[in-house]
Amino acid sequence: MLSRIADSMFWMNRYMERVRSILRVARTHYIISLDRDVKGASWKSILEIFTLLEEKEIKELEGQTGKILQYLLTASENENSVKSLVSKARENARGIQDNITKELWEEVNSFYHVTNQPHLNHKLTGPDTLDVIDLFMRHSIICSGISDITMQRGTGWDIMKLGKYMERCMETLILTDKHCEFFQYELEKERDITQWRFLLLSLSGYEAYLKSYRTFKHNQNVMHQVLFNEDFPHSVSYSLNMLDKCLSKLIVGNKNPEIPDLIRTFGKLHAKIKYLDPSIICHMDLQTFFMEMRTDMKILHAKQSNIFFSY
Amino acid sequence: MAIEQLLKNYIPNENTWDEMYDSKSIRRQYGGVFSTLEKLDVENLSNKHRLAGELFMNQGITFTVYNNNEGIERIFPFDIIPRIITGEEWDNLEKGIGQRLKALNMFLRDIYHEQQILNDGVIPAELIASCPDYTREAFGINVPYDIYVHISGIDLIRGADGKFYILEDNLRTPSGVSYMLENREVTKRIFPDMLSRSNVRSVSNYPVLLHEILLELASAQVSKPYIVILTPGIYNSAYYEHTFLARQMGVDLVEGRDLVVDNHKVYTKTTNGLKQVHVIYRRVDDSFLDPLAFKQDSVLGVPGLLSAYRRGNVAIVNAVGNGVADDKAVYTYVPDMIRYYLNEEPILDNVPTYQLSDPDAMQYVFENVRNMVIKNTNQSGGYGMVMGSTISEEEWSKARKEIEKSPRNYIAQPIIQLSTVPCFIDGKIQPRHVDLRPYALYGPSGTKLVPGGLTRVALKEGSLVVNSSQGGGSKDTWIIDTL
Repeated sequence: MLSRIADSMFWMNRYMERVRSILRVARTHYIISLDRDVKGASWKSILEIFTLLEEKEIKELEGQTGKILQYLLTASENENSVKSLVSKARENARGIQDNITKELWEEVNSFYHVTNQPHLNHKLTGPDTLDVIDLFMRHSIICSGISDITMQRGTGWDIMKLGKYMERCMETLILTDKHCEFFQYELEKERDITQWRFLLLSLSGYEAYLKSYRTFKHNQNVMHQVLFNEDFPHSVSYSLNMLDKCLSKLIVGNKNPEIPDLIRTFGKLHAKIKYLDPSIICHMDLQTFFMEMRTDMKILHAKQSNIFFSY
Repeated sequence: MAIEQLLKNYIPNENTWDEMYDSKSIRRQYGGVFSTLEKLDVENLSNKHRLAGELFMNQGITFTVYNNNEGIERIFPFDIIPRIITGEEWDNLEKGIGQRLKALNMFLRDIYHEQQILNDGVIPAELIASCPDYTREAFGINVPYDIYVHISGIDLIRGADGKFYILEDNLRTPSGVSYMLENREVTKRIFPDMLSRSNVRSVSNYPVLLHEILLELASAQVSKPYIVILTPGIYNSAYYEHTFLARQMGVDLVEGRDLVVDNHKVYTKTTNGLKQVHVIYRRVDDSFLDPLAFKQDSVLGVPGLLSAYRRGNVAIVNAVGNGVADDKAVYTYVPDMIRYYLNEEPILDNVPTYQLSDPDAMQYVFENVRNMVIKNTNQSGGYGMVMGSTISEEEWSKARKEIEKSPRNYIAQPIIQLSTVPCFIDGKIQPRHVDLRPYALYGPSGTKLVPGGLTRVALKEGSLVVNSSQGGGSKDTWIIDTL
C-alpha cells in the first residue's frame, strides 16, 4: 500500500473516531446538564479537552450551552469541531476514494454535506439540540458500520484500525484523566456511582458497568472497566490489544530497520497496562500514570508514522 | 402541466439541425423517448431532475466554489433528457475516428523520428517549429507498439446539414469519460423503463477496455504489470474522474510525491518499501511531468521520469509530446495526413479553418469577423475565444491588435450553428445546442470506440459555448439500434 494512502486511511478513521467521541461526550453532558446538582463534569472540562480555547475564552462561553454546542459541533473556526473533523476526514477519504469502498466514500461525503447544512447550527440553540446531535451520531455510526461490512481486510484495514484504536485509547486516557482530576486524583475515598456516570456514559459503558460489576467499590470497578477490562471496547486495554494485533500484521515482511524499535516501544506501553495489578490502581499516583501513558502514546504515534507514512 | 403540451410548444431554431424534430415530425430514433415523455407531467420531470442532482451530490461528483473561505459544493449541470444518435450514424463516426487516429499516430511517430511528412512538404516545417507543444525532449523516444494516442476525446459537432464535423482533436489528457459513465448510471435510476426498452448500446465496459490496453503496454517480460494513474491531486477539477477510473480498473491512484525514480526505473513508495511501476496512465500535463526535463518548479511530477521513459522502463499513457498533433493550427492538416499516410480520403470532414498566419486568410477573416469564431491555438476550454457574432466593437479592436501581434497563435472558423436537442430547463422543454465527445481507445489490437460519449450542452438560450468552464452542462448519449 502507498504510504500516502496509508496516511490518509489512518487519519480518516482517526478523525471519525474523534467525531464519535465528541458527539458522545456532548450528548451525555447535554442530557446530564439538564438535571440539577450533577457532579462529575462541566462544560469547562469538555472545552479544555476538545478545544484549544484559552481559559478566558472558556469563561466567556460557560453557561451558554447552545453556543458551546455550536462551537463543539458546527463551528468552522474550531479545528476540532465535528464539522471540521468530518471535513478533514472527507478530505482524506477524497484522496483515497479508489482504496475505500464506494459505499464508505458516499457515506463520508453525505455526512460532510449534513454537517454543512446551516439550519442545523441554529437548531443547536433551541429545543431540537438532541435531534442534531443524534443525526450526526447516526451518520458517524453508519460510517463505522459501512466500513466494517464493506472494507476489504488487509493492510488498509489494519491501518484504519490503527488510527481508530490510537484515537480511542487516547480519548479514554484523556477523559479518565480529566475525571480523576475533578476528584483531585483522590480515589481512595469512595465515590458514588452518580459521580462516575458521566465518564461511563461518555465511553458508552454505563449499562455494561451495571451488568458487570456488582460490588459498591465504584472507584476500583470503574477504573478496572475503563483501563483493564478486555471485553469493554472503550477500555485502554482493549484498544492496546487491538493495536497489538494490527501492528503484528503490519510488520510482517516489512524490512524497515526501525521496526524492532517500534515493537519495543509498543511492548513497553502495552506492558504498563497488561502487567499492572488492577487492585492497586486507586492507590497509585494517577496523575503521573496518565501523563506517562499519554506521552508513550504520542511517541508510539510518531514512530509508527515514521515507518508507515514516510513519503 | 402535461408534457404533451410542453412538447407541442417545442420550437426548434431556424437554420439549425434539431436532432428530435425534422421539419414535419419527430425523428424515428426519438420515438420511444417522445412517447415516454408524453406520459409524464412537469412535476414528474422536475422530481427526476432533482433526484439526478442529489445522486451526483451524494457521490461527490462535484467541484468546489470558494466564497468567504467557505467551500460550497456544486455539481456539473446534467440534463435528464437523453441525446440520441442512430447506430448507422455511429458506425460511420467510428470508422472516421478510427481512420483519423491511425493517421495521427503515424504523424506523431514520424514527427518525433524521421519527419518524412515535413521533408515531403505536406506540412510546413515552420508550423511545427513554431508549435509550443512540439516536445524536443521526446524526439527519438520509441514507445510501445508505436502508439502515442491511447486515449482520445475528439470533439464533433453536427452542422445545419445534419453532418458530423470534427471540431478538435484532444490527444493529451482528455477528460469527461467518467461523466459519460455516470450520466448513464443516473439515467438508469431516473428512466429505467425507457432505457431498457430503447435498445441502447452499453458504455459500461470502457474501464475494462482501458485496463486491457494498459496491461498490453507493459513489457512482455513482466508477468504482473503494476499500473498506476498519476493525478495532480484532489484539487484538480477532474480528480473525481481519476479516482473513478482507478476504482473501476482496480489500479493505484498516485500523486507525483508517491513516485520516485532510481536507476532509470520508477517506483511507488509503499508501507513495505519501493515497488516498481510498469505503466503510468498520467493525468498530468507534459510540462509538469518531470521537473528535470520540463518545468523546474513542478511538484506534480517525478524527477527523472523522462529518463525512465526514454529507456523503455515505464510506459506513459498518453505518450509525451502529443500536443503537437492536437494543436489547433496543425488540425487543419489532419485531412492531408490521412491522405499522406493512409492514401485514403477522410471519412469525417474538418470544420473549415483559416490559419491567421496566412495574410490572405487573415484579411478574409477580419472582413467577415461577424460570422467567425477565432480561437487561440494555445488555449482550450473555451478560453481565449472570440465569438464574432456577439463581440462589441471595442472588444474586437482590442482582440484584433492581439491577433496581429502573433497571428500564428490564432485560427478562425465560420460560426456553425451546432445542432440542438430537447432539454428540460426551468420547467419547459427547450432546444439547446450540443456537441459530442466520443472516447476512443487505441491499443495494440486496434481502435475501440465506446458507443456513447459525452454530449456537452450550452444551457443558455442561443449560446453555442458548451464548455463546462463556461456554464455548459452534459447529457447522457444513447446510441440506438433502431429495429
